[in-house]
Amino acid sequence: MSIAHEFDYAKPARLKEALALLARPAPRGAVVLAGGTDLVAWLRDGAVSPGRLVDVKGLAELRGIRLQGGKLWIGANATFAEIIESPLVKKHAPALVESSGLVASVGVRNRATIGGNVCSAVPCCDSGPTLLVHEATVHVATPRGTKRIPMKQWFLGPRRTALAKGGLVLGFSLPLAKHAAAFAKLKRYRGEDLAQASVAVRVDAHGAWRVAYGSVAPTPIRGPKVERLLKGVKKPDAALLKKAAALAEAEVAPITDIRSSEVYRRLMVGVMLKRAVKLAAARLAGRGPDYGINVMEEDAQ
Amino acid sequence: MSKTKIVGNSSVRVDGLAKVTGAAQYVDDLDFGPGLLHAVVVESTRAHAKLKKVDVSAAAKAPGVVRVVTGKDFPYMFGLYMQDRYIFAQDRVRFVGEQIAAVVAETPEAALRAAKLVKVDYEELPAVLSLADALKKDAVLIHPHLDRYNKVPWFFPRAGTNIAHWRKTRKGDVEKGFQQADFILEDVYTVPRYAHCPIETHAVTGLFDLSGRLTLWASSQSPFAQRNVMATALKPFGLTHKDIRIVTPYVGGGFGGKAGVSMEIIAAVLAIAMKGRPVKLNWTREQEFMNTSQRQGVIARVKMGVKKTGQIVALEHTLHWDAGASAEYGANVVNAVGLSATGPYRVPNVKIDSVCVYTNMPPCGAYRGFGYSEFHFGLESHITRVAQAIGMDPVKFRRLNAIQEGDVLAYGAHMNPGDLRGAIDRVAKEIRWGKKEKAKPGKAVGKSLACFWKAPAMPPNASSAAFLKFNEDGSLNLTVSGMEIGQGFLTVMAQCAAEVLTVPVEKIRVETPDTDRNPYEWQTVGSHVTWSCGNAVRAAAEEVKTKLLATVARAKGLKAEDLYLADECVKSRQDKKFALPFRSFVIDGIMRPNGNFIGGPIQGTGMFMPEFTSALGDPETSQGGHPNVHYTVGCAGAIVEVDKETGKLTVLKTALAVDAGKAINPELVDGQIVGGIVQGLATALYEDIRYGANGRLLNPNFTDYKIPTALDCPGEIVPIILETAQPDGPFGARGVGEHTMVACAPMIADAIADAVGVRLKTMPLTAEKVALALRGIDYETVKGDSLGFCFRGRPCDYPFAVGGAK
Amino acid sequence: MIQEIAIRLNGEVRRAAVAPNETLLDVLRGKFGVKTPKEGCGRGDCGACTVLLDGKAVRSCLILAIEVDGQSVVTLEGVGRDKPTALQKAFVKNNVFQCGFCAPGMILSSAALLAENPQPTEHEVREALAGNLCRCTGYEPIVQTVLAVAKKSAKKKPAARRARS
Repeated sequence: MSIAHEFDYAKPARLKEALALLARPAPRGAVVLAGGTDLVAWLRDGAVSPGRLVDVKGLAELRGIRLQGGKLWIGANATFAEIIESPLVKKHAPALVESSGLVASVGVRNRATIGGNVCSAVPCCDSGPTLLVHEATVHVATPRGTKRIPMKQWFLGPRRTALAKGGLVLGFSLPLAKHAAAFAKLKRYRGEDLAQASVAVRVDAHGAWRVAYGSVAPTPIRGPKVERLLKGVKKPDAALLKKAAALAEAEVAPITDIRSSEVYRRLMVGVMLKRAVKLAAARLAGRGPDYGINVMEEDAQ
Repeated sequence: MSKTKIVGNSSVRVDGLAKVTGAAQYVDDLDFGPGLLHAVVVESTRAHAKLKKVDVSAAAKAPGVVRVVTGKDFPYMFGLYMQDRYIFAQDRVRFVGEQIAAVVAETPEAALRAAKLVKVDYEELPAVLSLADALKKDAVLIHPHLDRYNKVPWFFPRAGTNIAHWRKTRKGDVEKGFQQADFILEDVYTVPRYAHCPIETHAVTGLFDLSGRLTLWASSQSPFAQRNVMATALKPFGLTHKDIRIVTPYVGGGFGGKAGVSMEIIAAVLAIAMKGRPVKLNWTREQEFMNTSQRQGVIARVKMGVKKTGQIVALEHTLHWDAGASAEYGANVVNAVGLSATGPYRVPNVKIDSVCVYTNMPPCGAYRGFGYSEFHFGLESHITRVAQAIGMDPVKFRRLNAIQEGDVLAYGAHMNPGDLRGAIDRVAKEIRWGKKEKAKPGKAVGKSLACFWKAPAMPPNASSAAFLKFNEDGSLNLTVSGMEIGQGFLTVMAQCAAEVLTVPVEKIRVETPDTDRNPYEWQTVGSHVTWSCGNAVRAAAEEVKTKLLATVARAKGLKAEDLYLADECVKSRQDKKFALPFRSFVIDGIMRPNGNFIGGPIQGTGMFMPEFTSALGDPETSQGGHPNVHYTVGCAGAIVEVDKETGKLTVLKTALAVDAGKAINPELVDGQIVGGIVQGLATALYEDIRYGANGRLLNPNFTDYKIPTALDCPGEIVPIILETAQPDGPFGARGVGEHTMVACAPMIADAIADAVGVRLKTMPLTAEKVALALRGIDYETVKGDSLGFCFRGRPCDYPFAVGGAK
Repeated sequence: MIQEIAIRLNGEVRRAAVAPNETLLDVLRGKFGVKTPKEGCGRGDCGACTVLLDGKAVRSCLILAIEVDGQSVVTLEGVGRDKPTALQKAFVKNNVFQCGFCAPGMILSSAALLAENPQPTEHEVREALAGNLCRCTGYEPIVQTVLAVAKKSAKKKPAARRARS
């Protein structure tokens, strides 16, 4: 099916030009085109109908995955395929390898970008929980300079972010620290699916835990109660895991939709949390499987 | 049966190279030049409403638009078995997605933009979105003029109700049977709607040329049935059969969805409206879900009585089907089940009521399995439960009651050959039936075995024909009109001809049909074309063979009975050295010593019609007719692993045995088994259609209607082919294509029950349902207000009441 | 707004004037007459429109033609043009495909996988093909054939060395 909506297209080579194009009035506004894997489908459905697309794939500022200023820098234009293959991500934010590997399918991951995923801000956004547990910072360019927005302030609601009109996400910086992590995604089957629910956990060398959930609230959210419960525990026992699971079930606010009932989502958040925590603890201790697996399909009993 | 050389070999597909190089063309790959117009259909947003006004004025004036067509332009009805479907909605719409108007424009974009400008004023009518509402007394009628519709004589619609058809089958005395029973179990099972999901959506381009002939290039399983339906519906335009031509290139999957006629007739009338210019109408994926046909949803009550010793003595099977807004094809699914819902078992006392009910959901029709998958879910689940209740091993129980050649069927005819017991034994062995398997921590392992049968559902006079002609080099062209929908039909037909004529398969070209040039074929449905068209091809080849022998006999002064075919030559039993290659005479003839030539282009025709069938059974009992040509039987078994926390199920191993009669190409039969199992498992495990409370389909896409990926296959699939010859089949063959998915759902339900003790009676059997059931939560109470077919509530509360008719 | 783009399509530079709202799939099929990328869903779910963009398997239905100006695109028409590749031959020999509509995407995804990872595990093959939906085959013959071709290509190399020595 063709795209009925008509729009202009520009591919600026410089950031300034891009910001000017985003700021310049266009009938029905201007939107950023990165990987396009969501946007083009939305254009076809008529879900969005901007007057101008600003293709940001020519901008050097949005590229690259590197260490910079003592942090891991992931450019907004990094595709999920690039993230999965990056030795730096594998070393410093391996849960992102795990969550990125569960985004859609190879043909989409070769094109879709982390910047686009985070800007889509759908409740099931796969990068959200992982970036939340990394306490990443979103770097945003605006005509008035660069802004830094902590991840936990980024998501405002379904498809709503802290990105002001005319702003452009440059990338994400993630603090470096020795840690172990895991990402679990509940899907209707093994193939490509939007998350029914997801859980990211991260634990550092001191046993400080960070937990985040996807698809169980209007936005990806942190799990402070579980984090407090687990604080300082590097080897959680079965009783503690059970308690954590119950807390997790209580601190999410899922809804019923065609992908899952509210009650299944809630129960599975508990199961996923248990499995992810167990796995991260094992990884912290130098055991456990490599990153990049489908935790829910593994025997994480 | 004499030994075959080509039949029984896994010849390489005749379309194999075309498909891996991309040379194979599908409808949308054909070019029609710069004159091509593009159509977009305006759809109903209401499930049931009167059309007060359809205002096309703004759309007609939009840039690039050449014509806007509405129901006023084409106030005609159509249908395969019953004409209850409108080309465009007339005074009312009957489902969300129904076509109200169409915009024809120079570009697809212009047509899409203009379609949004068509204004439709509705006057809401109460939507019938539950079977109970549809069947209650004084129900809102979806087809008030049901009594006036043209239909086949074996449908029994009830005027003044929403009942499109009611098939009753009565054998023995079911009440007496239950009195004899030592144990009786009664329960209710539901199966929601499903979607075919061929990867190629429906696509048609039509041209009504200036001489008044209509050509359609269509992605279709049924070119001749389409021509016939269109010639009937479009008679007002003076079109006769010879004026309509359907060309069907390769089809990107059918599964029943491209059988009969659905949106193709819209393209036909748009072409008529735009005389002289080709018009293209391609369905989007969303339309493919919403406005072709779906598999009907059904609620079924099974009551079975058995002796302590395991014999089934009585079966009462009542099925209420959600047919949607039209039943022109779906009613025949209901009919087929009404005749066969005993499953492949000997049952002396039978009462089947299979009721086809109009609702305000999208129309339903043929889907691989044609109702058998649906009723097997309840029946086979029930059989396992009955066997366990009387303390008998379910496999032993099935074996004991398995139908055999000569047994009297529910409608009085006799069962054809088929080795169901052999199938059970092979599968039981393959899944190590009776042996307990070790489970990993947190998991449980379960096993199951379910039987299946299925007959083609077709009119008693459905027929096939074939033409064969030789080329100068001794190669042949075979023309048939069965459709290559992936199953390997063309290859198998080439093998049948090659076997008779001793020609290698590679020397036979056989392609997709064109109704002008190819001989008649009823439809490619019901897993019947290998059998039916195979017989026609074999007959055509026999005619060619007779001509080859006669020509040589006449030219050489030999006796035809001394001659035979071998290695592409005519040879003689009397003279071992005599060998006349086909290529030396099949076009140019044979020169006699005097310089005269004997012979000429050699060709042959063949036809086949099952002359023993009849649809004239008694409407109250179905006794006296012979509606089905034969049944194919088999069984499937599985070893599964269930995650006790998440409910996720992994099929570790599955085996399926089917009695193909004769596997003309075993590798292609394996392909049907493996593909059918994966499709069947998907309907069992995760395909989960959802309608909103207003009758709108909520997941008309692969984002939320999950069909399997390469990651979603069983750990191991073992295909098993049995060969008990079908006496009237080509080389003994009978069909297998649909059957391979029929047993999958009950097989999974039983395996879940075996693994974790949870008995699910509502499909699909999702991880969510299993996990909730393990925690004592009834999924139906938490799933929200979406529904999978026109049914809401607890199945056990459904009254199976029919208020409007007896 | 109409803009001329130039892409290297199956090795040849092809030019077309395109509007921004034309997808790569539409332009390949409608303007370049390259018909093997198919539309199956129009939203990136089915993979029938798969092409190789600078060597990577992507969804041509989710890419605007104007975005790929100056890039290289390979479709099935560009694979095994002179003679079928080992993969194509094996797919034919094993009677792998049924309706064949997914075949172009499936072959390109397989070829991209084997180019990057000549000896994939079975799971890697399934993962690489998981975005290409097939409703006919149940995937088994496709997966097993890709694995067999990979295995055979691994065996070939030492054999060739032996022949030289």
